[in-house]
Amino acid sequence: MGYDNGDSVLTVNRMDSGTGGMIAAPRWVLLCVALAWPPLQGCGLVYDALQYVAPAATDELDAICRRQRVQIGMAVEPFRPFVFPAIWTDEGSRVTGLDVELVRHIVEALSQQCGRPVTPVLHLVRFRDLFLHLSEGRLDLFVSAVPSNVPIRDWAGFAYSIPYFQHGGLSAVTRRPEVLDRIRQRLQARSEMPPKAPAGDEVLAGLAVAVQNGTASQHYAVANLHTSRLVLCDSLPAAFESAESSDAPGIDVILGARPVLEYMIARVKKEWRLLAYGDGKTFFLTRGQYAVVMSEESYRLRWFVNGVIFRLDESGQLERMRARWMDEPYAFPRRAAVEGLPFDVEKMVIQYSQGACRSDRAR
Amino acid sequence: MNTGKLTAILMVWGLLTWNVAEVREAWAVERIEAEETARLLAKLLRVGRLVVDGNQTVIDDPHKGDKGFTPDVFEQQLIDEFRKETNIDLRTLATVPSSIQIPPLAKELLPAFVLASKEVVRDAQVVINQRGIGYKNFIPATYGSQAARRFTDRSHVRLKQTTLQPRNPKNEPDDYEASVLKWLSGRPNAGAYVSELTDKGQTLRVVMPIYYVKDCLKCHGEPKGEQDISGYPKEGALEGDLAGAITVTVPLTAGSR
Repeated sequence: MGYDNGDSVLTVNRMDSGTGGMIAAPRWVLLCVALAWPPLQGCGLVYDALQYVAPAATDELDAICRRQRVQIGMAVEPFRPFVFPAIWTDEGSRVTGLDVELVRHIVEALSQQCGRPVTPVLHLVRFRDLFLHLSEGRLDLFVSAVPSNVPIRDWAGFAYSIPYFQHGGLSAVTRRPEVLDRIRQRLQARSEMPPKAPAGDEVLAGLAVAVQNGTASQHYAVANLHTSRLVLCDSLPAAFESAESSDAPGIDVILGARPVLEYMIARVKKEWRLLAYGDGKTFFLTRGQYAVVMSEESYRLRWFVNGVIFRLDESGQLERMRARWMDEPYAFPRRAAVEGLPFDVEKMVIQYSQGACRSDRAR
Repeated sequence: MNTGKLTAILMVWGLLTWNVAEVREAWAVERIEAEETARLLAKLLRVGRLVVDGNQTVIDDPHKGDKGFTPDVFEQQLIDEFRKETNIDLRTLATVPSSIQIPPLAKELLPAFVLASKEVVRDAQVVINQRGIGYKNFIPATYGSQAARRFTDRSHVRLKQTTLQPRNPKNEPDDYEASVLKWLSGRPNAGAYVSELTDKGQTLRVVMPIYYVKDCLKCHGEPKGEQDISGYPKEGALEGDLAGAITVTVPLTAGSR
């Protein structure tokens, strides 16, 4: 794959086969239709004949090939290392991360499929708005560390690819030693008893739990944490900021996606700790697998994206991507400069703010 | 002489004189004019970098959303700082007093560079105004790369930032630039620049050195090899060391374009 850094046009080899629709119609067939045109006129068969030999592009994959652009959504709130904050580089504004790398692979495969370069148009919008944008047809797909196996009503009616990241799930972090100790004691007590109530509710009972609004962590908390005090935050960075601020609503733990929290406490918020058992094993509230989200009717696109992810998995590339973004030492501005993708400035939230936190009064 | 012959001669003469005038107007640039234009352009880019550097704390403030560092604010500061350095007010270029000599080429190109710079700041607004994000990599070097490239794309004059150990491969010096940089690196900062004719006198090359100041050393200083905030290894530079140069390439004739 060769990205032109100036305009991000992908340069690929043109394939021999087309993708169906007008692109795939052989010339001799079109010639025959043209010759048959006069006798068919008025008998209602013209349209049928055309549809038979050269069907109009009817699916989303053809549409992407035809316009040579794929509209891709991503959360503007950073989900390190899946999506890092937008940054300025020698080439202009760029965004990078594991999800961006996946997008590059999908776009490369699309270009090969279409037989001509397909350009990704990245829309950086708020996470909670990604589903809305997809349902309104403004996006072909979106990628933002979205777990595909979480029962959330708001996320129903959409289609999910096969997973590209297997090590998701919810865990929690705290910076208060007394909270960490209390959790350890509860986990110890619980391990000595047979399983009964959902672990999360029992372990986090009475604590103030911060979650990002609209994410799996919020939905999990609403559905399962009946005895905790919920604090709703506009973003994960807002949760950290609020928890570290003395005039905050008092946050004991932050609940969130495990790989994101792991990344944060390893590299950015080093004074925070993952909730863990006495032996150091991380305490999970649930497991999750991240997938690409598409419209439910996008059957062909789903097959296509599934194929791309499958091949990346089979070749070991997915694991290399995980290790590259999760384990290796790096600074994301440099990666953004080298391999980041430009995004549509017009479609980014103007003056993105990480927002704030407030108590969930609905509970 | 009949009317037909006279018309033909007049047409040929007209064409000849028109061609000569056109060539002279478009291409024949005196060295002195080209050199002064190049010097001013390099200075303007250097001032632009200083303006960005002067606003770095605001740009990287994670607690503030709208930083107020708009293209207009940048332009105002750029013009003010440039005036302090050169006594040239870019707002009144067309009406400068005759006591200040500004080449016509500079009158055309300096505003073009201001425009390119403003566009860079405009496009970076979406990055600069993020609240909750500290370092955004909008720094003198990345501003300069973009501004120089945009200006160069629209002009026959090439503006570039370069150094012997570039972080961005696109800033790699060419042979001429590398030789000048090597020559400069062994010499103390004398506040001078290098100007030379190349390509058998058809092209003017101007190299204006940039030296490290204290603010640069956070990313380029010691310890050498340690990763800086943007992920590049520090160069281990000291204050006053040669950082690189702004180079300007001006074709003096059409053939050297």
